[in-house]
Amino acid sequence: MTPTPSEDKPVEPERSLREKWREYRKPGYYEELDYAWTMTIDLDRCMGCEACMVACKAENNLPIVGEQAFARGREMQWIRIERYWEGQYPDIKLRFIPVMCQQCEAAPCETVCPVTATYHNQDGLNVQVYNRCIGTRSCAVYCPYEVRYFNYNDHHWDQPLEQQLNPDVTVREKGVMEKCTFCIQRIRLAKDHAKDDGRRRVRDGEMVPACVQACPAEAMVFGDRKDAASRVSASLKDARAYRVLDELNTRPSVIYLKKVTG
Amino acid sequence: MATSAIGLFVDPHGALAAAAKLKGAGFAAPAVISPIPLEGAEAALGEKKSIIKRFTFFGAILGGASGFTLAAGTAVLYLHPTGGRPIIPFPPFLIITYEMTILFGILATVIGFLISSRLPAIRDRAYAPEAAVDRFAVAVTCDDDERVAQAAALLREAGAAEVRNVQEQRP
Amino acid sequence: MERAANMNERDLSYADVNRDIVRSLVETGPKYYITLGCAVGLTVVCFLFPWFYQLQLGIAAAGMNHPQVWGTYEAGFIFWIGLSHSGTLLSCVLHITRSSWRKAMYRSAEAMTLFSLVVAVIMVMVHVGRPWFIHWAFPYPNQMELWPNFRSPLLFDVTAIATYLTGSSVFIYMGSIPDFAAVRDRTTGWRHHMYTLLSLGWRGTDTEWHRLGWAYTLLAVLIIPLAVSVHSIVSWDWASSIVPALHQTIFAPYFVVGAIYSGTAGIVTVMFLLRKYMGFERYITEVHFDNLGKLLLALSLIWTYINVLELFTGWYSGDSPEIEALKYKLFGYYAPLYWEMILFCAFAPLLLISKRFRVSFVPMLILSIAINIGMYTERFLIVGTSLSRKYLPDAWGVYVPSLVELSILVGTIALFSTLFLLFVKIFPSVSIYEVKETLAEAAAEVPERDTGAAGGDRWQPAR
Repeated sequence: MTPTPSEDKPVEPERSLREKWREYRKPGYYEELDYAWTMTIDLDRCMGCEACMVACKAENNLPIVGEQAFARGREMQWIRIERYWEGQYPDIKLRFIPVMCQQCEAAPCETVCPVTATYHNQDGLNVQVYNRCIGTRSCAVYCPYEVRYFNYNDHHWDQPLEQQLNPDVTVREKGVMEKCTFCIQRIRLAKDHAKDDGRRRVRDGEMVPACVQACPAEAMVFGDRKDAASRVSASLKDARAYRVLDELNTRPSVIYLKKVTG
Repeated sequence: MATSAIGLFVDPHGALAAAAKLKGAGFAAPAVISPIPLEGAEAALGEKKSIIKRFTFFGAILGGASGFTLAAGTAVLYLHPTGGRPIIPFPPFLIITYEMTILFGILATVIGFLISSRLPAIRDRAYAPEAAVDRFAVAVTCDDDERVAQAAALLREAGAAEVRNVQEQRP
Repeated sequence: MERAANMNERDLSYADVNRDIVRSLVETGPKYYITLGCAVGLTVVCFLFPWFYQLQLGIAAAGMNHPQVWGTYEAGFIFWIGLSHSGTLLSCVLHITRSSWRKAMYRSAEAMTLFSLVVAVIMVMVHVGRPWFIHWAFPYPNQMELWPNFRSPLLFDVTAIATYLTGSSVFIYMGSIPDFAAVRDRTTGWRHHMYTLLSLGWRGTDTEWHRLGWAYTLLAVLIIPLAVSVHSIVSWDWASSIVPALHQTIFAPYFVVGAIYSGTAGIVTVMFLLRKYMGFERYITEVHFDNLGKLLLALSLIWTYINVLELFTGWYSGDSPEIEALKYKLFGYYAPLYWEMILFCAFAPLLLISKRFRVSFVPMLILSIAINIGMYTERFLIVGTSLSRKYLPDAWGVYVPSLVELSILVGTIALFSTLFLLFVKIFPSVSIYEVKETLAEAAAEVPERDTGAAGGDRWQPAR
């Protein structure tokens, strides 16, 4: 169904099945992404302050599940700080690893969804379609990073906290799976601005997800790795760069820079 | 009006022999009604061919084709890359094809069975309820009353415990 | 002679068979109504009410959490599908191999299959977060122009289970057509009408028997690979993941063996109950229990072997997540359940080595129930221990099933019993014509023992 054209926006013509097939059959269909959003996290700088978690919660309308639900393990935190320590205080060695959806190129969660509520889009992101999710939770089982979170019940915000909700992001109902989206609403907004500006590409640093924006230590760098001049492409060349659970060949888009100790 | 002569036998061997005799005497389709399938039926009454196999075979082929078309066709209709896998991967679609092959094979077998045994039966046909318990019946249906009488005589000769004449009711 | 000992031919004639089985259908006493009432009541109270509560509240009514997103519902689903592998698969295999001891019990076993599948499908609806959209998992043309994801193991599930449901219902119906005809002749009133419709006008002519024989054998040949594939596919729901304890190639054979194992134990339970409460003492005898017991023993040994394999290959791999998952299984939070499963499914069935045990009815009943408890625990452990120990230690967690889940578990058993109780009063639960076939074979084998089973003179089938 073609939408009614408005005066300023050009309308994309509907593509026929044959055209879609031809595009699919063009070599490099998977490799040719519009953008390849990547995040680098410098573990040397991360101090575990959890500002990223609070920012994510505010930006993406994450519910506050309450003490009881949290104690039962039903937390809702799209980004979490994993803490690993050795030794006893004061000789303790502590490491923080912020883990969010790694937006894997070969995501195990995408294949198993029976209704295709999660798939890989042309920006290299693993998208979650809340409306389509029927809640089988198999994607959460298949994810090795454990970054998918399920809405076990409907959530409500005490007045007047619902005024703080982000209007660009939906509020999910019970039975729906959710996870970090690299703040896809901000990406969409940036792409819209770029298009309005005359169809240019989104510039490096023009948009960052909430967690990257909030980090006081500037441990996180976000950008498009297709752009060779971006900060994130430079940080990929760092000798400390590694991917979590690389041996599983999920090809995540989140790169960590190892903390060098001693 | 068609009449049937039904001879009830206690011994299945006798029933089969009587049916063979009736066939030899030129009666069209003597039916041996029994509570269990009889081993000697084909020997006495001639070999039967079953077309159900063909139904199964073509049903299975149709199922395989539909299964693959369903899976591959719907995958291509709305291109959703998942997990870096190809849009038309063979291992998963082979499974779908396999299951649909068996599904259609099963349904085709049922349809073949119903068609070749002419069930469900609409008209009342020659039947004796004892034949579902422990008697073996031989039934012959003819339009000509005289022939029916001949059949009844043959059955009595062959040792039927009881012979009945049944008028078929036209609906 | 084994075959001759199947039925007590001394007192069993064809007329007796018809009479006994029609009587089991037509005569209903207060005991039946009380049992049916209890089953329906338990279904409503233990299954429907908690489920409605869960539909309103969300999956929070169950005990699941992060990372244990799957729990007793998924385990229950796999368990009921496993139980469904008893009847139809066994029936088909034994039909192809022409064993005679299957004849008295296969009808009820196939019914078990059908109802287990129905309960399993209902478990999926309980398990899913938004069951009002479950129809999206089926391929149907819609306004959204969206189709389900056929690359997903869960969709293989949908296709396989739909096929298996169709196949099982068709198979049990086809085999019952002659019996419906026999029952039609001896009933009156609404029952007569119902059986007239169900029997499709079957007479029992040689042509019809020939066609039925072909159709039945073809169906059996189709259903055997289907049944093997169904549980393999269900196991691939778990094995296609990259979770340490789930991602194993042994899962397909493991689950198929486990399914036949738990299904056969289920048949033993059902046979005991049928024999006791439906008056089928002469049809279901020690020989059946003996053979089922031998089958159970063989399956139990294979099942034990596969479990040992799992432990050994996991340990041998030296892979730390794998070893962690195994250690957790054996010595972690759920360890008591693990050892209970080993006791019930690996050690207790060794009692079946003794023939005296195999032919005693009540011990077999107790053992079969124990085996099924063990097998349910096994399904639960596969989900519980592997999800709680995935790769990242920070994300490890434990889950305890809630009351709602346990109640729904009881409720599904009640639902299954309700369906089965309704079945025994509509379908002849012992196959009339196949029992007569067995009598005929027995009479033919030992001519001097033939006391006129056919109700008349001695006869021999033409060979």
